[in-house]
Order: sequence, then structure tokens, then C-alpha cells
Amino acid sequence: MLTALILIPLIGAITIGLFPDTAIAPTRAKLFALITAVITFLGSIYLATQFDLQAFSLQFVEAHTWIPPIGLNYHLGLDGLSLPLVVLNTLLTIIAIYSTSDQLDRPKLYYALLLIASAGVTGAFLAQNLLLFVLCFELELIPVYLLIAIWGGERRGYAGTKFLLYTALSGILILAAFLVVAWVGGDFISFDYADISTAHLDLKTQLIALTLLLVGLGIKIPLVPLHTWSPDAYVESSPPIAILLGGILAKLGTYGLIRFGLELFPETWSLVGPGLAIIGAISVMYGSLAAIAQRDIKRMVAYSSIGHMGYILVAIAAGTELSVLGGIAQMVAHGLILALLFNLVGLVEAKTGTRDLDALNGLLNPIRGLPLISTLLITAGMASAGIPGMVGFAAEFLVFQGSFSVFPIPTLLCILSSGLTAVYFVILLNRTCFGKLDNSLAYYDRVTLPERLPSVVLVAIVVIFGLQPNWLVRWMEPTSDHFVAALPAQEIALPVISQVANPPIASLSPSLSAPQLNP
Amino acid sequence: MAHLLSQNVWLIPCYALIGAMLALPWSPGLVRRTGPRPAGYINVVLSLLALVHSLVALTDIWGQSATSESFVWLDAAGLTITLDLEVSSLTLGVCSLIASLNLLAQTYAIAYLEMDWGWARFYSLMGLFEAGLCFLVLCNSLFFSYVILEILTLGTYLIVGFWYNQSLVVTGARDAFLTKRVGDLILLMGVVALLPIAGTWNFADLAQWAATAELEPRVATLLACALIAGPIAKCAQFPLHLWLDEAMEGPYPATILRNTLVVSTGAWVLIKIMPVVALSEFAVSAVIVTGAATAIGASAISIAQIDIKRVLSYLTSAYLGLVFIAIGSGASQTALMMLFVFVLSMALLVMATGNIVLNNITQNLTQMGGLWARRPVTGLCVAIGGLSLLALPPLGGFWALVPLADWLWQSEPALLAVVLATNALIGISVARLFGLMFGGVVTDWTRRSPEGLWLLVLPTTVLAGFALHVPLFFAAWEILPQMNTLAPSIGAIVTWSSLLGVAIGSLFYLAPTAKPPVTLVPQPLRDFLAYDFYTPQLYKLLLVSPIGQLSRFINWLDRYIVDGVVNLVGVAAVFGGESLKYNTSGRSQFYVLSIILSVAIFILIMSLPALRLLSAGL
Repeated sequence: MLTALILIPLIGAITIGLFPDTAIAPTRAKLFALITAVITFLGSIYLATQFDLQAFSLQFVEAHTWIPPIGLNYHLGLDGLSLPLVVLNTLLTIIAIYSTSDQLDRPKLYYALLLIASAGVTGAFLAQNLLLFVLCFELELIPVYLLIAIWGGERRGYAGTKFLLYTALSGILILAAFLVVAWVGGDFISFDYADISTAHLDLKTQLIALTLLLVGLGIKIPLVPLHTWSPDAYVESSPPIAILLGGILAKLGTYGLIRFGLELFPETWSLVGPGLAIIGAISVMYGSLAAIAQRDIKRMVAYSSIGHMGYILVAIAAGTELSVLGGIAQMVAHGLILALLFNLVGLVEAKTGTRDLDALNGLLNPIRGLPLISTLLITAGMASAGIPGMVGFAAEFLVFQGSFSVFPIPTLLCILSSGLTAVYFVILLNRTCFGKLDNSLAYYDRVTLPERLPSVVLVAIVVIFGLQPNWLVRWMEPTSDHFVAALPAQEIALPVISQVANPPIASLSPSLSAPQLNP
Repeated sequence: MAHLLSQNVWLIPCYALIGAMLALPWSPGLVRRTGPRPAGYINVVLSLLALVHSLVALTDIWGQSATSESFVWLDAAGLTITLDLEVSSLTLGVCSLIASLNLLAQTYAIAYLEMDWGWARFYSLMGLFEAGLCFLVLCNSLFFSYVILEILTLGTYLIVGFWYNQSLVVTGARDAFLTKRVGDLILLMGVVALLPIAGTWNFADLAQWAATAELEPRVATLLACALIAGPIAKCAQFPLHLWLDEAMEGPYPATILRNTLVVSTGAWVLIKIMPVVALSEFAVSAVIVTGAATAIGASAISIAQIDIKRVLSYLTSAYLGLVFIAIGSGASQTALMMLFVFVLSMALLVMATGNIVLNNITQNLTQMGGLWARRPVTGLCVAIGGLSLLALPPLGGFWALVPLADWLWQSEPALLAVVLATNALIGISVARLFGLMFGGVVTDWTRRSPEGLWLLVLPTTVLAGFALHVPLFFAAWEILPQMNTLAPSIGAIVTWSSLLGVAIGSLFYLAPTAKPPVTLVPQPLRDFLAYDFYTPQLYKLLLVSPIGQLSRFINWLDRYIVDGVVNLVGVAAVFGGESLKYNTSGRSQFYVLSIILSVAIFILIMSLPALRLLSAGL
């Protein structure tokens, strides 16, 4: 069953490649790609309905040996961490394909690449073998690079290359980390997650491997200061690709943090936790502040994404049941909201021909403007700024509440920064939606109903999960609890009054104190 | 039937919310054929339903003790957030007040916004406000109070920005949103920090916990200060008061709700969390000092304003300052009475002055004058609204302020002086407002001024009736202060302070030979008051420009430093255009170098705490 989720898009991609180059091909390719994506989505929904909510273990496991000598097995499985992300991926793939313009050069290649990338991401989320994960991770890289570099904006070459260099490095570092974990000391059986453990490694080796891994994932997430590929890649790629990039590809990084960071390095985790929390808080503040200074709305959204990924890092670093759950919820929330924002910003650009804050004005105007798009943009901006009633708030609140007892100061900084989030969204909304529409320029094409559909659907999901977050978190809870239970007990018992005053480092587990490193 | 309604009070906020949802299709132009008016009528009807429901439920549970209901909203990973509702005579009574005031405001808006094309947006937001306010009153949990305050902050942004194509409106909406958001987020910090310590967000449980809790003083102070920040911003108290002034750019009918009920939400929440705030002496005195400073300062500022709505907005801040003094000094019941008086009087003032503003096309007080002969009904309403805000028997304000004065006389005589001075200043301001509008000579702006449509006049006069009946309400609820239990002559002192204020104001602005005392007050002081203590400049200096500069610096840093040595030396062009030959050009090493540098910095930051720990361990 899980294989189908990977195979259907791949087969779809190959079939599209075989389409004849007739005049009718572009729309037909799109339709076919859309059908493929919808089938995959329905497949993932079907899995969700069959998913056992009580179990934390892997479900629907498929295991076949592939290349035993190097430990590569075809081993797939689904748990509460991967399920929401797989569903998110298949959903965003539909939205990306659906919102692609019909006037597209080389449509066959485009849709084929898009489907391959989607299959790669699904594979990475499902993989239960380190090598298989790396394989899927790389499988997604090349198509996305081409999608940026061929169908991107003005500086697509630059952005694409930057993306390629950074992400390739990220893949190498992750692979290196895996190799260290698997090959240094101990008996090597295979790269299956189940066969890998770091218990036998000394602390120093663990730290080295974890650092390699964190840098690799940090590039992907992206975390400050490893983020510089992302604003360029987001801005230069076309809106559907930006949706995939920011909405789901970046989640591979945070997924890896939980799957490999928490699960493979439970003992070392609390050692790097405080540092990660600081980096997370820096990312949040840095992204928000940089977004305030932008004049290009897409770039603003791109920096906002960097900020919001910082929350996830703080949550995972804290490693409490609530914070990890909040982190996973925030991945989904951020994916939905970012996709929504990129979709709307893309529509604004397509209709008005500009993304410049100084040129845009008064789009809320009901006659000549884009009233519905502006309304949705306001909703999306507010959802991203963490206004209650929408999923962003629910997830962020879990993160704040969960990490506060472990890292009070980074958490408070994050809360403070969500004020900065409000600042740049108000700037964005005041400039684009509010203000006086220039009647001499405002001859915009009407937004058709099909164009509105994706954003309306996304807003509905964002609001429904915001009002009823239980429907979102119940998929993840057993798994996140399980991850946290594997961590050594931290001092996070509830009435920790003294922690408020103490620096975050005080809350580290004493069981991990340094003497282990003594020669 | 009545019992059924009182068992399902959760429906009360839902009516308005349904109204808000139903209005939406008209808003972005989905329904064009009917024009936007049906959206308004739907909301008026649903407000009426909410009012009927709350009144029937109120009569059903009248005199019974409070009951509470609880629904689980979120249950995950050891965190259970329940939605607690408290059903009591007080909460249902306040719901009735909210629904009736919103009904009046919506009726008023039918006339006031007759020619406006934004009806759907307007009524949708009014519905949202009613729903939020009712829900806030009914809910008994700090978490959901925060949630509502935050949603209302968004509502304020949208409703202040109603006429969004004017630049002043846009900046007003922005400042209202951001100022209130600052307060909300600090409150959120308090909410997040409170749970691990207290283990609950239920107000009743919190009060119980606070009675026995022993907190480290520093923690208690930080926590309590975080908790009062939200109310301070909501109630437009110093130093977060400027938003209310700028929010006056919004439409008049929305101001009816905003200047009365919406700002009062802050005081309501503050009353509820006061047991926790009381854990810190410092925070309690912060509440009182903030209230006192705002009461004196804002009432003085209101005397120097020439815009009718700004006068009213500073009067709002000033009166809520008095409420803060009451809450801070422990007189919660008096604070609620004051809020009741304030809501009715201020709503009346806003509505009545709106009648004038609508057909005289100006809200500049210097262009007004001589309206008494033309608008006696409205004039009477302004007079009733203004006087009932003061402590002037037999009107409502007196019965609310006298218990406060009595309480302060026994506990804090210095604060009594503040209250009396504020009362007098409000008196001057109200008399000035009335004098400038209705006294004096007719100007070009006021030459023709008929009473407006009945939809304007009827809500105003109905509200005037309510305002006049406040003492009777108090008597019926048996909370009218017994004069014989009060300190001797406290009633007279309070009355004299009001009379003094009104007399001074009338002397300068209402008397036939009145000459505005502009020459009496030195220019710098006048400017200081007229420009609102130069608060906008202060904000700019302390907050806006530092954040702006920091963000520009970060952007510069991002562009030229973090984004690699490459861009610095102008190698970016290598990757530009269609060129994919990055690997044939040796300069991409620069890029790799920058990546490596970034990686090094990343590792360094990440490992700092760990290294510190390790070295400490070694």
C-alpha cells in the first residue's frame, strides 16, 4: 500500500513523458498529472482512515531486502509523524499542479518532474532505512532544481544553483552522519532504523555525528545562518514550486530532526538542545526582522517562513511531549499556511503584474480590485501571525506551552517575535489590500472561480483545524509521546517555579553531565 | 422554554457569530444582485434573537447561584484545555447589555452608513464583536479570555480600517492592531507561564490557588505584570493609549461599541485575574498608578482636543483609569458598577454626537456652535450622557463613584484626590464639548442642521432613557449604596467636584460672554496636551524606529554578509541569467567558502551551551 503512494506519481510521471507532442498536450498533461495526484491523495486519505490511532509503532510496514551488502533495504512504514506529512505532501502536490498556469513551456517535463519530486518526498517520509531516506532525499533534489531553474523568475539560474549547492551539501552531510552512526564501532546489520542505535557510541562520536546531521538538516529547514538559499529559491521559483518548496520540502529537515535527532540520539539530544533552542529563537527573530525590511511581498513571505520554522526547532529542542507534538502540528500548520500565502501572493502577482509593496495598493476594492483574494490574504496573514481561531495559533500555542518549562527565555523570545510577525503582515496587508486603488492602472483580469478554489480550500482547512485542533493532533500524539518517552527523563516536572528565573541551561538533565567525556 | 434557554447559554454568542458568517457572501462581492443591505438586516435580527435569549435566560436564573459548564476543547500530551462557561445573573445580565447595545448600534448604523457600500463587512464585524464580547463574558477561563481578546484585536484592525482607502485610516488600523497585539502577547506570556505554576486557567480555581500560593517575589512580579499588560492595552491606558485616539478614524457606529464595551473587556479580564495579580504588591500598585496617571492625563488631554471623537476617546481612557484605580484598590463590585455607568453614558455621548457629525459633515469642535436651537433632542442626549458620566446626583455616575470615593477615603486618601480631580476635569471636558457644540453662535457649518433619520434618533433617545434609569437599575439589583453607611459628607464632596468642573467648563465655553481660555494657558502646555503628551514621537523614538533600523540592519546583514562573500565581491552575476556553468567558473569557490563559514557559525552557536556545560563539568 505504501509503495503505491510512491509508485503512482512515478508511473504518472513516466506516462506524461510518453505523451505525444500534439497541440492538445499541455492541458492534457495537466489533467493527467492532476488525476495522478488526486489518486495519490485519496490513497493517503485511505491510509489515514485505516490508521490505528492508539498505536505508536509503525503501521503498514513493507520490508524487502534490496542490496544487503551495503545495508540498503526497501523498508517502508507509517507512524503518527509521517502520516500527517505524507497527507500534507499529497495535498500540496494537488494544489501545486492545480494552480500551475495553463500557458506553460514544456508542460510534459514540468509535470513529470513535479510528480517525481512529490514521489521522492513521500518516499523520504515513509522510508525506514537510512540509505533509502537519503536516496529519496536526493531523488527530490534534482527535479526541484530543474523546476526552479527552468520555470523560475528572472534570476532562476542563480537561485537554482544556490538551492542545488546548499541542498546537495545538506544531503552529503546527512549521509556522512548516517555513515558515522552505522559504521563506527558496533555490529553493522543494515541501515534500517530498527537496526541502528547510537547506544554503543561514545559521547564524542555521537556529538560529531549529531552535529553533521544537524548542519545537514539545518540547511534544509532552513535555519539561520544556513538559510540564504531559501529566500532566493522561494522568490525565484514559480508559485506552485514555492508551495512545494516551503510547504513540504522544508519539512524534510524538521522531520529528520525528530526522526533521527530525537530517535537516534536520545542521550546526546539534551546536550545540544539548549544550543538548538537558541538557534531556533535567533531564526524566529532574524526571519521576522528581515521580513519587515522587505519590499517584495513574496520575499517577505519567504523570510516569514524562516521565522516560523524556528518555532519548530525550539519545540523539538525542548523535547517535551507537548512541545514535540506542537512541533509536528506546527509543521502541518506552517505547510498549509505557507502554501496558502504563496498561492495568494502568486495570484496577486499574476493579476497585477507586480510584487512590489510600493506599487501595490487598495486591492480590497470591490469593483476594480481583487476583493476575495484580498480577504483570503488577510486571513492567511493573520493565520500566520498566530491569531487564535486558525491552525497557526493552535500549533504555536502547543509549542510555547510545551517548551516554556524547559527553555523559558527562547520561548518568550519566540512569543515576542510573533509580535514582529504581526508587524510585517500588517505592513503587507496595509500596502496591498488597504489603501487607494489607482484607477488608471487597475485593469486587472478577473480572478476566476477555479483560480480561487485552492486558496478557499486551504483557508477552510486552516480554520477547521484552528477551531478543532484535536482533529489534527490526535494523529500525532501516540507517536510523539513515544519519541519523548525514549528521551532520558528531563527535569520538566510541572511546578518548576525556579526555572523561570534561571538560565535555560539549568534545566539540562544531570544524568548527562560531562564526566563521560573524560579521557 | 425559559429553562431550556438558560440551559443553553452557549447559543448566545452563536447568534451573532452566525450573523457574521451569513453576512460574508455580500462582502467580497459574491452576491451583487441584492446590494449589501440584506447582510445588515440579517445581523439586526440575529442580535435581537441574542437579546431575547439572554433576557429570557436571565429571568429564568435570576436569584440563583452561578452554575458552570465545561467542554473539552483540546486534550493532547497531558495538556487539557477546557472551555469553561459561567452562567450567572451577572454574566447573563452583561450579555443582555452587550446584545442590546449592539442592537442599538446596528440600527443606528442602518441610517449612519446609509450610502456606504461596505455594509456586509461592517455588519459582519459588528456580529463578530458581539459574539466575542458575549463569549468573553460567559467564559471563565484565562486561556479563552486571551483567545477572545486576540480575535477582537483582529476585529479592531478590520473595523478601524473599514474605510481603508484613506491613509489616516490605514495607519490608525495598523497602530490599533499593533498596540493591542503588544498587550495581548505579553498577556500570552503570562498565560503560558501561569499554567506550569498554577496548573489551571479557570478563574475560580486561579483565585483559589492564589489565596494560598507562595511565589518567589520576582516570579510573582513578572507574572502579574505580564497579566496586566493585556488589560492596559485593551483599556487604552498609559502608555498604550494612543491606539484609541487613532482608532477614531473608523466609522462612528463602530465607535459606539469600541469606546464602550470593547475597551471594557480589558477591565473585565483584569477584575477576573486580580487575585493572581494581587500576589505581587508591585503589580497592584502598577495597576493603580497606571489608572491614576491615565485618569488625570487623559482627562486633561481631552480638554485640549478639537476633534469630537478624540475628546470622547480620551474621556474613555480617563474613565477607565478611574475603573483601574477601583480594581487596583480592591473595589471590584464598584468597578463593575462604574463600567455599567460608563458603557451607557459613553455610548450615548458617541451616538448623540454622531447625529450632529453625520449631517454637519464636520467633527471639528471649532467649527461647531449654536446647535441648541436646531437640535434640542440631540442636545439633551449629549447633556444626559455627559452629566451621567459625572458624579452628579441623581444620575447614575454618582451612585457608582460615591462608593469608590468612600472606599478610597478609608484606604488611600491620596487616590481620592486623584479621583476628585479627574471627575472635575471630566466635568470641564463634558461642559466644553457641550458648550462648543450647542452654545455660542451659529457657524457656517451649523447653519442648517435638521434632526436626522428616525433610525438615528430613536436608538439615541432609547439609550438616553436607559442612562437616566441607571439609579433605578442599581436599586432594583440592590446594589445602590446606602448613604448612611458612607463616610459623612463624602457624597457632597464628590458632587461639589463635579459641579466645580461643570461650572468652570460652562464659564469658559457655555456662558453668553464665554471666551475660550486659550490665552490663560501657556502655549507649551497647550501643545503638550493637544499633541497628546507627544506620545507618537515617543513611540517613534523608543519602538518604531529602533525596530525599523534593526530590521534594515538584519536585511543588510542578510544580503551582504550572511548571503556570502560572493555577493560582496559581485560574483552573483556568475549565476545570473541562464548560465548554469557554475562549475566551470572558478569563482563558485567563493560560494562554497561562504557556506562553510555559515556552517562554522551554526555549529559554534549550537555548541556554545553544550561546551559551557562540558567545561563546567570538567
